[in-house]
Amino acid sequence: MSGGTELIRGMRLVKRFGGIVANDTVELAVAEGDLIGLIGPNGSGKTTLINLLTGHLAPDYGEVFVHGRKVSGRPAHVYAAMGVARTFQLTQLFGRMTVIENMLVPGLARPYARWEATKRRARRHLEFLNLAHLEQLQAKSLSGGQQKLLELGRCLMLEPTILFLDEPFAGIHPHLRDDLIKRIQELHREGRTFVVVDHDMESILRISQRLVVMARGRKIADGSPADIKADQTVLAAYAGF
Amino acid sequence: MRGLHTFILLAFIVLALAYAPHLNAYWMHVAIIAMFYGILAASWSLLAGYAGLFSLGHMAFASIGGYTSGLLVKWYGIPIPLGMTAGVVMCCALGGLIGWVCLRMSGPYLAIFTLGFAEIVRIIFSTEDDVTAGMAGLHTERLFDTISRLPFFYTAFALLAVSLLCMGGIVRSRWGLFLRAIREDEQAAAASGVPVARLRILIFAIASGFAGLAGGFYSHYIGILTPSLGGLDLMALLIVMTVIGGMERLPTAVGGAFVVELLLEVLRGYEQWRLPIFGILLLLTMRFARNGLLAPLWLRFEQLGRAASIATSAADFTQKDLET
Repeated sequence: MSGGTELIRGMRLVKRFGGIVANDTVELAVAEGDLIGLIGPNGSGKTTLINLLTGHLAPDYGEVFVHGRKVSGRPAHVYAAMGVARTFQLTQLFGRMTVIENMLVPGLARPYARWEATKRRARRHLEFLNLAHLEQLQAKSLSGGQQKLLELGRCLMLEPTILFLDEPFAGIHPHLRDDLIKRIQELHREGRTFVVVDHDMESILRISQRLVVMARGRKIADGSPADIKADQTVLAAYAGF
Repeated sequence: MRGLHTFILLAFIVLALAYAPHLNAYWMHVAIIAMFYGILAASWSLLAGYAGLFSLGHMAFASIGGYTSGLLVKWYGIPIPLGMTAGVVMCCALGGLIGWVCLRMSGPYLAIFTLGFAEIVRIIFSTEDDVTAGMAGLHTERLFDTISRLPFFYTAFALLAVSLLCMGGIVRSRWGLFLRAIREDEQAAAASGVPVARLRILIFAIASGFAGLAGGFYSHYIGILTPSLGGLDLMALLIVMTVIGGMERLPTAVGGAFVVELLLEVLRGYEQWRLPIFGILLLLTMRFARNGLLAPLWLRFEQLGRAASIATSAADFTQKDLET
């Protein structure tokens, strides 16, 4: 951890799907200011862990704490209201709504949010993401990369303290990927905390200060990129570098 | 500033209301029934078009509202408006309950579940003839003790107008945006902080309440109520009306109810062939205009208002420019 205040903690998380143990007593704590790369082979339980930590799945065993409050078992919108934002492995936008409407949904879901102020905030974020000129287009008509950016923008409208990005670099043009990395780094410098899942090791190593490695539903390593590269368990289980 | 289209619409309504006393009894009845379906189509559009909850139990709620009001007035002699209010409350409560039970259902599963619910309601009303008079029909007290249909026409109009104002308020608010987000992707809506479960229950309750209101009015207009009001035939008719008009907008859904009701009467000469005509119309709509046949017309009508408003602003701007 970076040494900042603890934002989220998953304790002894277990999730089974039929006979498959997707997460087996996984522990993960994320502190303010962290930029964590969550890596592991396909089927290692990374997305399940994100789903558990963002309220999209309830754990069979174990607990989730956000800002020290136990929230496991509560619906996902409660996590969102506490500043936990996420994107999805396959981009999930409100396809037949316009770009600005996609931004307004999370903005107006915040307590005491007002239309005009929220709209101004949405436009600011769209400018930051270079999507301002597309605000009246339906979200489904954007390119794959633009959809990833819009999903990030939708997260930002929650004024999140922590963002979980599930495979943000998958299937996008290298140029747009560099752009996305730049945005993530900028937002991190502004004080946002990130947990990024991806298979693109080059991008993950470019941005991460800490790597968490999963294999067969278990967390097998957690440390700095340099430590992880030298870890024999990781090399054995995950032949990525 | 309101657009030109609002004023055109208001002028049309005023004209229709002023012309109403000159309608003969037959066409006035058609207009009243069209407004009854207008409330149902708008509330079903709120549920299916905005929130994406394709319920086949909407007419069952109209039936429940009608029977609740009719029976309470008959048994306890309470005033009809109070009976209708009780019908609305009953439908809201039952609608909320159904919404809660089907929280994890969508698409065909929700449709089949609500169809089952509607059939249960219809069979109960058919078989409990000691209470409901079954298929013979429950005689209900009429809202106005007069042979003229004009008071019913104005009442139906007032109920439709109030319903549309309330539903319009919902869809224009942030809740309307959240409902559409739920329709598009429930998981993403929840991740965006939208209380999906609460809203789904609430919208089921609200839409069912409006169905109950329409059913209550129908019960005290026709004077006799049969279980077929909640049957699948009328539910299918309601779907045809809403889909042909355009289920993702309240005005087009109401327009669909008016057009189909009018066509049903105009095409009466074709006897049983008029129903296949609607079937073909529905197929064409689904193939060529999924947002409804009236939706493009309504959009143009709305743009007329916006264009006029932009033209006025531009003229003002030029005038100010010239003055400075």
